[in-house]
Amino acid sequence: MVALARKTLVYEWRRFLPAILAVGFAGLLQLLQLALVLGIFGSTSLYITGSSADVWIGYPGTQSVGQGRSIDGDVESRILMDPAVQRVEPYIWVDGDWRGTTETGGVSVFVSGIDPRADGLMFSKALPPDLRARLAQPDAVVVDRSDLDQLGVGIGQTATINGHEVRVVGISSGLRALGGVNVLCSLDTARRLDSDAEDIGPTYLVAKLRDPTQADAVAIRLRGDTAFGPYTTWSAHHFARLSVRYWMFDTGAGAGVLFLAGIVFLVGAVITSQTLIAAVNGSVREYATLNALGVGVGALRRVVLEQAFWVGALGLLGASVLGVVLLLLARSQNVPVVLTLPAALGCIVLVMGLAAVSGLAAMRSLRAADPATLLR
Amino acid sequence: MHPANLVTPSTTAAPTIALQAENISKAFVSGKQRTQVLDGLSLHIDSGELTLISGPSGCGKSTLLAVLSGLQKIDGGRVLALGSELGQLDLHALERFRLQHTGFVFQGFNLFPALSAFEQVELPLNHMGLSRQEARERARSSLEEVGLSHRMKLRPSELSGGEKQRVAIARALAKEPELLFADEPTSALDAANGQMIIDILHRIARTHGTTVLCVSHDPRLVVHADRVLAMEDGRILSDQRNHAPVSASKGISS
Repeated sequence: MVALARKTLVYEWRRFLPAILAVGFAGLLQLLQLALVLGIFGSTSLYITGSSADVWIGYPGTQSVGQGRSIDGDVESRILMDPAVQRVEPYIWVDGDWRGTTETGGVSVFVSGIDPRADGLMFSKALPPDLRARLAQPDAVVVDRSDLDQLGVGIGQTATINGHEVRVVGISSGLRALGGVNVLCSLDTARRLDSDAEDIGPTYLVAKLRDPTQADAVAIRLRGDTAFGPYTTWSAHHFARLSVRYWMFDTGAGAGVLFLAGIVFLVGAVITSQTLIAAVNGSVREYATLNALGVGVGALRRVVLEQAFWVGALGLLGASVLGVVLLLLARSQNVPVVLTLPAALGCIVLVMGLAAVSGLAAMRSLRAADPATLLR
Repeated sequence: MHPANLVTPSTTAAPTIALQAENISKAFVSGKQRTQVLDGLSLHIDSGELTLISGPSGCGKSTLLAVLSGLQKIDGGRVLALGSELGQLDLHALERFRLQHTGFVFQGFNLFPALSAFEQVELPLNHMGLSRQEARERARSSLEEVGLSHRMKLRPSELSGGEKQRVAIARALAKEPELLFADEPTSALDAANGQMIIDILHRIARTHGTTVLCVSHDPRLVVHADRVLAMEDGRILSDQRNHAPVSASKGISS
């Protein structure tokens, strides 16, 4: 079989280049935007994904980790009564006002009071063991490297949170927060920093199960008991999704992603289809001749669709190479970018869908390939 | 290659009818203006002959070719090609008919810029259900027949006008069609190349027994045609058989 579509694409590559570039940039734009959004909003669930707790217990109606209210500490005994629960640990969230030694003004910080024991659940994946051990010292805090400038401190230096003095004992990475700065300290330190008299217990309790796969079932089972005051439970996975979704949609970022996806698709499809249409029009007499010789319209359509497929595939290849390079560059600059498999697949579907729609649009101009017109 | 198709150049044996038009009419409507291109025209074309339709531009000769080859529908009358009534065939069946039985050569060569001469010829054969081996064999022998065996690997941009038209003829010939339609095949070519195309068309009719129907106002073609139909205003003015050479100007106006 003579590979008409591919040979034409190679021979007339200049003609197809705008379409390949359009598809490639459409894919790249979407990929980077998605990676950025996932990276940025993924940090809103860092508290959950960076920890090894299976079930979270918090105030009913909490929409994201940063919006918890304190619950009664006695809930812990209720949770421990469940045979599936292995361990329970409190987690205290304090909104703080940071005053550094240099002139930084007030910086809004999210204080996470955690159990500093070596086998503590909170931030077990995000915080190195030696830094965690240092948190046991009174008024010790750990901050993220990328926040140092904003906080105006270095290691070993002191600052105040809500008027209480703290000392930076360690610098970690991967703790960046959205809309503020994460500061990690021990539960004791966090209680001292909490200036709200209404906070009578921890903001959350986090539980480790004997069988982590039971998280959803246990979370549902633990709900609905009000003997210890209001609380509810989520599996870690569910709560993380809740947090990310809250930020995606309540901040309008999710709508932004979808909007850009629409724009990218539209602009990419217009450029690509116009290029493919021009390519078809450029060969319309040849296509008409083939049709005169009895090659069916269906076969000619397949040629156009195949060209669209290759344009999409080549654009995708370019976008992937450039995307990986740019994502690595972003990582090296501490820009939060995360690319998940579903997100990558989504981009591939978008790009190939764009190419397919353009191919279908270009197929319409084959109607001009009427062999009778060759005889006029 | 085609011993079975060999037909001796005889004018005495009664030829079978390859194409038949009965009282056909065709009009084009452009806005409010209606132009009657063919008006009650009847004719039959014998198989294995090179028939030339000549006449001034706008006389309807190209339309007649389009109608006889099944590229265009008629308003009235009927067209029989190889015994099939073309008006009864739907679009798909017409495509299949053309695939199996017809070849076309156009004034423009209409070759794909990206394909070599060999691929241009092979491409339609791929759609005929031939094996890869057979398609390549046919493409090679067709190109050899038009004298391009040494230019098979070249793209259209590397070929002269005459060579391009020979590739186009090879593309039609490789299908081994019973009917070969040619529309002004020489008008874009210089004298020498035009003559070569005429010779090839002539030879195809002789050696393959192909019915060649050629539309042209090129007077050089007249002497090579077995039969010359002169058209004007959608009707056939004269119908002459070339037992003796016809003067190039007789019955032809351009």
